[in-house]
Amino acid sequence: MIPAKKLLNTLTEHWGMLELLFKRFKMADFSLKDVQNAIKQKQPTWSNERIYKETNRLLNQDIIIPLAKSSQLEINRAIADFATFLLQEEHLGLAQEISVLVDDLARLGDRLANAGDIEDYDELRRFSRIMDDRVRKIIKLFTHNENAILNIVEHAKANNAVQSLQKRYKAVIEAFDEYIEPMLEMVDIRGDFHACFSKIETQISEQIAYIERSGKAYQDKRMLEQLRTRILEMHLVGRESLRKSADMLMPLREELRRNNMITRQAAKVLGLIRKNGVDNMLSSVQPHFVSDAQRFSLGQQRHMVAYMAGLVEFEHTEYELPDQQDVPAYVTPNIPDYNTVKTSFKKRINAKRKKPEPLLTFLGESYPELDADEMLFLYQKLVSDTDIEISQSDEKMRVKIAGQHFSLFPFNTKPDSEQKQTGNE
Amino acid sequence: MTQINLDELTHLQVINKKLVTGYHISEQDTLMWQELDQHIEQYSALFCSLGHELKHDSRGFYYFASDESTPNMGKISRAIALTVYILIEHFANTGKDPMRALFDEVNDLELMQTLVQMNKHLFDQLEIFSGSDLRKDVYLRMIRLGLAREVEGGFMLQAPVYRYIDALMEVNEETYLGEDE
Repeated sequence: MIPAKKLLNTLTEHWGMLELLFKRFKMADFSLKDVQNAIKQKQPTWSNERIYKETNRLLNQDIIIPLAKSSQLEINRAIADFATFLLQEEHLGLAQEISVLVDDLARLGDRLANAGDIEDYDELRRFSRIMDDRVRKIIKLFTHNENAILNIVEHAKANNAVQSLQKRYKAVIEAFDEYIEPMLEMVDIRGDFHACFSKIETQISEQIAYIERSGKAYQDKRMLEQLRTRILEMHLVGRESLRKSADMLMPLREELRRNNMITRQAAKVLGLIRKNGVDNMLSSVQPHFVSDAQRFSLGQQRHMVAYMAGLVEFEHTEYELPDQQDVPAYVTPNIPDYNTVKTSFKKRINAKRKKPEPLLTFLGESYPELDADEMLFLYQKLVSDTDIEISQSDEKMRVKIAGQHFSLFPFNTKPDSEQKQTGNE
Repeated sequence: MTQINLDELTHLQVINKKLVTGYHISEQDTLMWQELDQHIEQYSALFCSLGHELKHDSRGFYYFASDESTPNMGKISRAIALTVYILIEHFANTGKDPMRALFDEVNDLELMQTLVQMNKHLFDQLEIFSGSDLRKDVYLRMIRLGLAREVEGGFMLQAPVYRYIDALMEVNEETYLGEDE
């Protein structure tokens, strides 16, 4: 028997080398030379003699053991398991492993209940301890498998693109079919797992209740309570772990499925194209692109800038139609009849033949109540009337008509003498 | 309504110029991509007013959607489609993961020649007779459309090629029969 402490010391001292061996050879065997090379790699300063001594130490302490009937060596299985645990290089276990443990748990539960019934507290304690051990084992398996799946996923993702997809994802698919699916079935709320646990839980609860009532073996109560809690926790941990594993694997499985679909579809479509011709087959599905010629071109940069500037100001607001009430009542223009105006104008011209008179003065005097636009309307009518002799002034003038200022070349009545004159304001 | 501040859209000119020619802006066009990503609402509103529909595909590219192509563009698009599908088949046949290889492998002239040789009567229909024809008529145009980028020794396809894969999944017998009627 090698003292544990001594073994641990050797392990710490040579951990680097062991890790190297473990990673390089996985679970396969290796030669004495490989071990010495590994030591040399990790401790380049060591002399050959020292390396030889250290190798012997590893062999003597059973860390490295010779294979049966061979000069090859392997890492002690117990150490290897420890290393897988430390390095999280775990391999996926079987769903059956867990289900066997669960079955065993159910059996132990029955025996525990029996022991409780006949008040054999030693037995009760013993079964409780074994069950506790099983539960720990199951939890360990769950976390172990979760890590293993994580490794599988990473491996599948990082793998070389040259390999075919099927090969790369083989592990993923296997993990899914062989572990996740049966496990999910088991953990399902109507599955065996659940039924088994509720049964064990009731059994333990009954025992606890009995102990409380009878007051016997009171110190065992706490142990049973702990066991019950642990079983509940295990159930929870299991569900969580499976959910996480499934979440990790699902996308990869999906990807594989999709890739398979795409490849199949590509082959199918190419087959159809071969039969029916490229244009026939692809015209209806091909993606379309915007092209220069197709769209109106906005031309140069300045067009673009101006157009965009316009767009910035643009605000899309609904145009509000005016209500009935908003419309001002229609007022008939207050214009006197044109003919009356004309007659009175002619009369006036005849009366004041001597001096040229601005048309506007006449209008302003005769119809002071008119608005500017109405006044201008009459003015324009008179100006364009061919019956009336008028002349236009050459000088621009500012006139005030009904409170508005206008600047214009005013028309004046023609005096007898053909003199050009300016009108007055 | 979205406020469009032209001062913020610093790359508007170049983005517009690219997009109206059918270019797809993908993550590899870092500057334009970031710009679009940051001001996507403004750009969408602006281009919408200009009569374009700016589309953002979650697989990492922007483009102007269009319902129809000019006859010439249509022909180019069909040639690209055929090339992409043949590539998928080719990669699958050589035992690679087709989707991965499609985006990870450099398509060099040798590959192009192999593709044309193996699918001669398909490419003949598109008047592509050699590897260099394929390069000129398909790959260089893919670059102009932002579907591929040129790298040392060849071309690499980019995310917008997913539009063709989507189109691929749409093809079925009915598509063709529907055309026939």
